[in-house]
Amino acid sequence: MNTKGNYCGSADHSVQRRAFLATLGMGTAALAGSSAAPHLLAADGLTKELKKQGRRVILLWLAGGASQLETWDPKPGRPTGGPFAAIPTDVPGVHISELMPLMARRMKHSCLIRSLNTRDAGHGSGAQLMMRGRRDEAALKYPDLGAILARELGRADSAVPDYVNFYPSTEGRGQEMLSPAFLGGRFGAINLYDQSSPPNLARPEQISQGDHAEREQLREWFSHRFEKGRDLPTLRSHAAAYARVTGLMSSQKLFDNSGESKATHELYGPSQFGQQVLMARRMVESGVPFVRVGRAWWDSHGQNFETHGELVPELDRVLAALIDDLKQRGLLESTLIVTVGEFGRTPAINASLGRDHFASAWSASLHGCGVKAGAVWGKTDEDGNKVVEGEVGAGELFATILSAAGIDPRKEYHVGSRPVPLVNPGIKPITQVLA
Amino acid sequence: MPDEPKPAAAASAATSVEFKVKKEISRKEILLCMARVPESGRLYAGASDGGVYDLDVSPEKPEPRRCEGQGHTGYVMGAALTAGHVVTAAYDKHLVWWDRATGKQTRRAPAHDKWLRGVEASPDGSMVASVGDDMVCRLWKAGSGELIRELRGHDVETPHHYPSMLFCCAFSPDGAWLATADKVGKIVIWESSTGKPAKTLQSPGMYTWDPKQRRHSIGGIRSIQFSPDGKLLAVGGIGFIGNVDHLDGKARVEIFDWQKGTSLKVVESDKLKGLVESIRFHPRGDWMLCAGGDHGGWLLFIDPATQKITREDKVPMHVHELALSEKADHLYAVGHGRAVWWQATA
Repeated sequence: MNTKGNYCGSADHSVQRRAFLATLGMGTAALAGSSAAPHLLAADGLTKELKKQGRRVILLWLAGGASQLETWDPKPGRPTGGPFAAIPTDVPGVHISELMPLMARRMKHSCLIRSLNTRDAGHGSGAQLMMRGRRDEAALKYPDLGAILARELGRADSAVPDYVNFYPSTEGRGQEMLSPAFLGGRFGAINLYDQSSPPNLARPEQISQGDHAEREQLREWFSHRFEKGRDLPTLRSHAAAYARVTGLMSSQKLFDNSGESKATHELYGPSQFGQQVLMARRMVESGVPFVRVGRAWWDSHGQNFETHGELVPELDRVLAALIDDLKQRGLLESTLIVTVGEFGRTPAINASLGRDHFASAWSASLHGCGVKAGAVWGKTDEDGNKVVEGEVGAGELFATILSAAGIDPRKEYHVGSRPVPLVNPGIKPITQVLA
Repeated sequence: MPDEPKPAAAASAATSVEFKVKKEISRKEILLCMARVPESGRLYAGASDGGVYDLDVSPEKPEPRRCEGQGHTGYVMGAALTAGHVVTAAYDKHLVWWDRATGKQTRRAPAHDKWLRGVEASPDGSMVASVGDDMVCRLWKAGSGELIRELRGHDVETPHHYPSMLFCCAFSPDGAWLATADKVGKIVIWESSTGKPAKTLQSPGMYTWDPKQRRHSIGGIRSIQFSPDGKLLAVGGIGFIGNVDHLDGKARVEIFDWQKGTSLKVVESDKLKGLVESIRFHPRGDWMLCAGGDHGGWLLFIDPATQKITREDKVPMHVHELALSEKADHLYAVGHGRAVWWQATA
């Protein structure tokens, strides 16, 4: 079984059951990087533990701050409600904005958190908070969500990246200061900004495939010879880095949607966001544990309703497409999709018909694995000004995402001798929404 | 004539006129549109709470009366007077007819597949035209509410594959022509009696697409008006915006000799930022008045003969719609949380 180059999902690379079972004998860890593993896990009903190891997360990062009132927590008819109506969904009693008719028919795969009070309405500081679940300490920087998921869900010898971050727009780029912190660069993001694939991924044209392979064999031979009798972490890290580069080069197809069918392209739509989310689907299918697709920029201080009239239908289409696509491929039960940004937007509507920054009562959504389908957690008041039930902060959402991905948020890392839990002490996931 | 300079006295009329606030009426709603009853200070204002308010500004203490009936469930974006009625258009995709004598709803009809942005009555009051984000203009018999025809000439999507918006329409003073204008700056002039497109104009400077920094758009033609002689067509909006999260662009008006299909002038204010939400011509065409705003509001006077700005005044709120009295001696505006009545002093 090829566990390195099988990324495009075509029939040519389909995995035979016998070969798969043979791989099982080599250890379950080998599963996580296999492109076909999620299909087989779903089909064969393997153990819960195995499924957990196959879990993946796609974060749709709504940079700039999307309005909860024009998405997940509409307040029609209220002074703060804006012009759009609320529509019923396939979960009785749950209404969302009319800008999301496709998601209204997919709430049975979704879970809404309507009671975020994250107390930080700054773009940079809010983004850092939401991506870490807590604030850095002066003497200790915490790893971001992607780094933790890469560490916990990735595979040591993975041939695919563990953490890919798309952020093509320039506004707000880097403000969340993504960092693996003490986990080390091994779990840091591959940032894709101006291109949808890492630069210099392709083998130089002047080097043939054969030459390339022979060079690698030679490097490995020298490397192994040098390592003999030297049990040094630096050497192991050096060898691992080369292995990962080789793996990345073989991952080139992950960053190329051209092999997808016309129908699939149509499903996700023509926008850059849609095409990058399609790429994210290809990645999780191939074993990448965490992909963040940043869609900037939602910061609608003026003309909020026109901005959301553009961006929410795009989100609706892309998110619905992703859910359908994952479901059709048997991956939805092993993939968690999250939509969130650094904050929401004010219920009050300013004179430019805009909404400003607001972190006191806003929403996030979770879809797919690990969460209760159709659940809605928390409630805001009739105008959306404050949380009246089930208030949660960034830490609780962070812990909930980890739990839904099969990771115990109480787990501790050690920085020197200091135990560092994945979330701050006392922070708990919203167990009521966990499956 | 647009290409024949007017006498100096007429050209300077706008600079000599001065409007002083006669009354301000605060409202908790955003007043998004209005229709004025001729020869009066009585306004029908559409609001963000879905209400249509009968507001006579003349009494010392005006008491707006909400029209009665099922009405609208979304922002009311347009109001037009017909014989005995006011017709309103809203985000709820419906047109509603209100009896002006009783203040009660007499008809409520689904009109568009997406949100309505405006409604205008033909000068003879026989027809109303509605525009919505389904990018269709529909002509209705004002009395019966019967659909006369649909006018389709605006693309549903922007060139960047996002939903477009059809913001406004206006009849020519003789009612022969109807102009519609959209988000990306396309203007279509239709023959009212046949629905045939007569001319297409472009004002692309009204639309800002940010392809890199924020990757969304802003702008669009928000106001449109024929000159009293029907020869000029003026459209209003906002110029290029560096930061599309704000109304941080110059107030922009483009004036066309529409029958020739030529743009006569793009007028941009160096002082005023925001959207030109409403345009009104002086009854004799001496000047044209534009209003709008960003977080604040303003009035902008332009001399149609020279196509130059002659006066710029700040006003108490972002203005959504203007009305001029028949002699241009009174001015009425509705906007963000307020209605204002001005009187000319010169």
